Amino acid sequence: MSLSRRGFLAWMGAAGITALGSQAGATPRHFKGYPQSLCVLHDITLCIGCRSCETGCNKVNELPPPAVPFSDLSVLDKKRRTTAKTYTVVNKYLDSGQEKKPIFFKTQCNHCLEPACASACFVRAFTKTKEGSVTYDASVCVGCRYCMIACPFEIPTYEYDEPLTPRIMKCTFCHPRVTKGLLPGCVEACPTEALSFGKREDMLKLARERINKYPGRYVDHIYGEHEMGGTNWLYLSGVPFRNLGMREDLGTTPAPELTSGALATVPMVAALWPVLLTGIYALSKRKEKLLSGDKQNALAQALAEANAKSQAALTAAMEKAKREKEEAVQKAVKTALEQSAKKTQEQ
Amino acid sequence: MEEVKSTLRWTAMLCTAVGLVIFALSAEGYKAPEQKAEKDRADIILIDTSPVFGRGDKPPVAFPHDRHTEIMAEQKKDCFLCHLKESKPQAVSAGPAPQPESTERMSLKFKRLKDTNLKEVRKIYHDNCIGCHMSMAEKGQEFGPIICGECHKEGAEYRSARKPSGMDNSLHFRHTKAAQNKCETCHHAYDDKAKKLFYAKGQEGTCRYCHQMKTEENRISMPLASHMSCVECHRLGKEKKLEAGPVTCSGCHDSKEQMKIKKIEPLPRMERQQPDTVFVKTLGKDEKAETPRMNPVPFDHKSHEGYNDTCRVCHHASLSACNSCHALGKPLKDGNFVKLDRAMHQAGSQTSCIGCHQLKQQAKECAGCHVFMPKGLMEQSDSCLKCHMKPLPDSAAFPKTAEGEKELAKKLLQSRQPVKGTYPQGDIPENVIMKDYADQYEPAEFPHRKVVSSLVEKMNGAKKTSQLAAYFHNDLGTVCQGCHHYSPESQKPPKCANCHGRPFDEGNLMKPGIIGAYHQQCMGCHAAMEIKKPKECVECHKEKKK
Amino acid sequence: MFKLSDVLNRSLLTPFNIIAGIILFIGLIITALRFTGGLAAVTNLSDYNPWGLWIGFDLLCGVALAAGGYVTSAAVYIFGMKKYHSAVRPAILTGFLGYALVVLALNYDVGRPWRLPYPFVVQAGTTSVLFEVGACVLLYLVVLFIEFTPAASEWLGLKRARNLVVRLTMLLTILGVILSTLHQSSLGALFLIAPSKLHPLWYSQYIPVFFFISSIIAGLSMVIFEGSLTHRYFAAKMDETHLREKEDVVFGFGKAASFVLAAYFAVKVFGIAMDDNWRYLSTSYGAWFLVELIGFVALPCLLYAAGVREKNIRLIKWTAAWAVLGIVVNRFNVCLVAFNWHLPSSERYFPSWMEIGLSVFIVTVGVVAFKFIVTYMPILYEHPGYKTPHP
Repeated sequence: MSLSRRGFLAWMGAAGITALGSQAGATPRHFKGYPQSLCVLHDITLCIGCRSCETGCNKVNELPPPAVPFSDLSVLDKKRRTTAKTYTVVNKYLDSGQEKKPIFFKTQCNHCLEPACASACFVRAFTKTKEGSVTYDASVCVGCRYCMIACPFEIPTYEYDEPLTPRIMKCTFCHPRVTKGLLPGCVEACPTEALSFGKREDMLKLARERINKYPGRYVDHIYGEHEMGGTNWLYLSGVPFRNLGMREDLGTTPAPELTSGALATVPMVAALWPVLLTGIYALSKRKEKLLSGDKQNALAQALAEANAKSQAALTAAMEKAKREKEEAVQKAVKTALEQSAKKTQEQ
Repeated sequence: MEEVKSTLRWTAMLCTAVGLVIFALSAEGYKAPEQKAEKDRADIILIDTSPVFGRGDKPPVAFPHDRHTEIMAEQKKDCFLCHLKESKPQAVSAGPAPQPESTERMSLKFKRLKDTNLKEVRKIYHDNCIGCHMSMAEKGQEFGPIICGECHKEGAEYRSARKPSGMDNSLHFRHTKAAQNKCETCHHAYDDKAKKLFYAKGQEGTCRYCHQMKTEENRISMPLASHMSCVECHRLGKEKKLEAGPVTCSGCHDSKEQMKIKKIEPLPRMERQQPDTVFVKTLGKDEKAETPRMNPVPFDHKSHEGYNDTCRVCHHASLSACNSCHALGKPLKDGNFVKLDRAMHQAGSQTSCIGCHQLKQQAKECAGCHVFMPKGLMEQSDSCLKCHMKPLPDSAAFPKTAEGEKELAKKLLQSRQPVKGTYPQGDIPENVIMKDYADQYEPAEFPHRKVVSSLVEKMNGAKKTSQLAAYFHNDLGTVCQGCHHYSPESQKPPKCANCHGRPFDEGNLMKPGIIGAYHQQCMGCHAAMEIKKPKECVECHKEKKK
Repeated sequence: MFKLSDVLNRSLLTPFNIIAGIILFIGLIITALRFTGGLAAVTNLSDYNPWGLWIGFDLLCGVALAAGGYVTSAAVYIFGMKKYHSAVRPAILTGFLGYALVVLALNYDVGRPWRLPYPFVVQAGTTSVLFEVGACVLLYLVVLFIEFTPAASEWLGLKRARNLVVRLTMLLTILGVILSTLHQSSLGALFLIAPSKLHPLWYSQYIPVFFFISSIIAGLSMVIFEGSLTHRYFAAKMDETHLREKEDVVFGFGKAASFVLAAYFAVKVFGIAMDDNWRYLSTSYGAWFLVELIGFVALPCLLYAAGVREKNIRLIKWTAAWAVLGIVVNRFNVCLVAFNWHLPSSERYFPSWMEIGLSVFIVTVGVVAFKFIVTYMPILYEHPGYKTPHP
């Protein structure tokens, strides 16, 4: 079936309008979290840098014993990050005042409401559970490490020294414990209750109450309330968060929304490209045909002209021959007549 | 082929040009390392003609005054190397008695008495500054900038570390002694009608009551006034080889130098005819009411003079009573539209009563308990009554004379019963054993009695806040409430574990569990009181041996 | 004794074979190390830098430079430019080998390569751009393989199979363009999820567009570049049509590349303008960006145009090599240089010798396979049994 030019353009127009329409209607809706999902509020002003949380996490998750014991606080002098053997680390920051009071804070997976790792994983190895924890399923993980690229907080780690069974390692929010009503290992271990645990709505309320009650003590911002669309781990601090190395430039767009636009064009391309390419093919074929048609016409014309020319030449030649023949005949007759006349004269 | 060659050549030239542009762009992005030496200075004067003559085409010049006076002193020159003499207006005497007839003083401007026009002033600066620098260069000495860009720098070469300077009561006392109690040496008032300065005895106040930070029509700015009076007097004193105050910028404005200023202790009371006791009225000066709605506040003025370094902490605009500017009802322009209630009660303000009291709570001796208490006004009425005292049972109507008021105030103040301390030692538990971390640590032994008595000692020993504490802690059990909070005063207040149990109570989000409560309360108090020991976990509770 | 060299009538110890042999041997050692010691034993990857040279070069550059397949077949079959017909088979071969090697390299980089089919057979993470990349690359590899089979079928004498596939050419070509559009742009879209980690001059909502357009440039330039190499080393294998048409290919593709490079330049400038990132141009990263944009995009654009105008084949061939290098520079920039630009230099990544060695190994495998196929199968010449009439 051949597609007429008009038909082709009509299809393109319709497709274009549909595409535009779908774009305008697609307002991104942000996931506000499962109701009653659990959350931790980390009050950085209460942290004393004792590393009990690291000890608790290590014990509860049966992680390998650390190279340097948890009681050694000199490790805090260097900036640390999570590793394949530590789900959480405590870091130290020296306040820029005259007293140089040290500030301690804990870093671990923030269990985002719309996790970048879950969005990025092409085998859905991450799940945002209704308890709020983002859990990892090592039984399907291929080890592509795209989740590590995606996480804006640079949390997931990888067992690079495992040749055949490497896993992504990150805080699990003690999901098995939490579903049983127990506290996460770090929360239970913290002596000063710098980690408060409860429903996310309650932790937000608690954070706001603390800021209201002691305005001089806190920066008026709950980190994690909106960052990257919101997280299930909230932070309160007495100094600007960026001083602690917590990025304040991440924005409030949840990570999945960053790629959903690009992914949305896939069905568009799949639907439109066949039509577009077939159309171009049809156009190019038509051009070819026209070109070859033109060629044939030109050929035929040339042939006809040549024919006509040769015909004319033939006719002319024949005429000439005829004339010459007649002339020759006449000449011969004349000669004959002259000869006979001469002969008669002689007799 | 010729065309090909030219194309390639052209391309090569373009590449080189682009490469240079890229290099230049990135080089511009590179910032030179900051000069570290001598960046913070207290003596930077910004030579900027733009407020007077409008914006010039070069940036203003940061001028280090002390560096120049140092060099001037080395060369055994005096201020008149750069400053001219100008005639002194009448009546204001600057300087101690030896030179009362002097009609001249040093002009603060550089080598001129008036700002005429931009061209002339610029010439004065350029000729003299650059001229002096060049002459020093010729002599082979270290010399200052000569090229335009070395003075008119785009970025900041220095950082001003100038701290505001002023007089506190101690420094004032040293000056009154030096001036032999002749207040007219420095204090003056202005007669609007006669357009003259004169000395008004009994009306002396801080310079800042009239001289603001900017020069107004008829009134020079505080910086100008203080340099003309103070520094000039010091300079004259130094001329006469007397003991005089600083003449360099850093001498008054550098924070380290400021700490070197001698403090007089004990400081005799300033003599300004101020009352010992007075009533703080609860009505504006000209407001009338049948009876004041709130009881007036008897105020121990004499003691409060000792609690602050200057008078202007409270008397921030004049030495009169607060209600002369602050009205109860319609706010007055004189009071900057601040009503009497706010003037007296505003939390966080140093000039209000409540604000100042709350600021005092931040002292080390008080902070251990007070850091946990929310700021702001209490709703309970009994705390209001601590100031707005109920009239004494045997008192008559409110007195009509000032003397009568003072007497009544004195009587009310004497009727107060400050509480210095808490329950007798024997009634306080000696040791408190905290067993809650039983699996990981041995029980913690808290020397309860020792801590309480140490707290009380510190409280009573604090010079400026002990009376405040004693009066407002109106019950023997008030001090206990520092830790035994959210409960009434009692000799047997609740134990921590009576209210604090498991953590993360949904119904009481702000209440920590027992472990968190112990650590937050104990460690919070230690941090606020800057107590260094105990530091390690095991200093409070030993590790349990497995 | 039976000797392969006797059968082939020539010595096997050619310089090429020796060097290739050494590289392949080293590659096998690295393979063993990778699968006994894990990635830590072989790479400089870290928790801050999960993707390194193998993703940056073998995956991103490999896919971009194998784009000649869809570009050439689109030009010949969809746009009807029959005069480039002789370039199709070499381009398809390069494409097929390229994608096959991408999958090979992926088996090294990924933690559990035997689980690579999982997204398609166990659990599909359809929110992931990587899923889309994987699906399209897989399908396109199949398409390329099928498009390659006619050459192999002709060699093996499988006439029916060959004719069947040739009849499917149009469909396969269209499918190839669709799949290539999708996965070339999605390789760029992978980085959309990490705006906080990619330098603003390289991060843009238009990264997918940038990657797609530059893949066209890569394809065009690679056909010219690889064509010039094959002409140098395999001229003996080329038949008359190939030799005749090769100049047309160089000029035609060079002209097209010039246009596309100009469009790419404009699109990149618009990308900066959209986010108002001009101020970054005066930083050191900005200088490097300008080197990429002006030295590797604007310059080849002008040189291609000059070469086509002056009919200077040599200039076009060198420009093609330069443009190919430019694509590599761009992919490296996005994946390795501008990525994690905010981290201190102690945490930045540089590939280890073994990573570089393995990438060289993979390229060598490709070259060896290419050499074999081009020598024995009708890639650079038409099989006498299947000659198509030429106008």
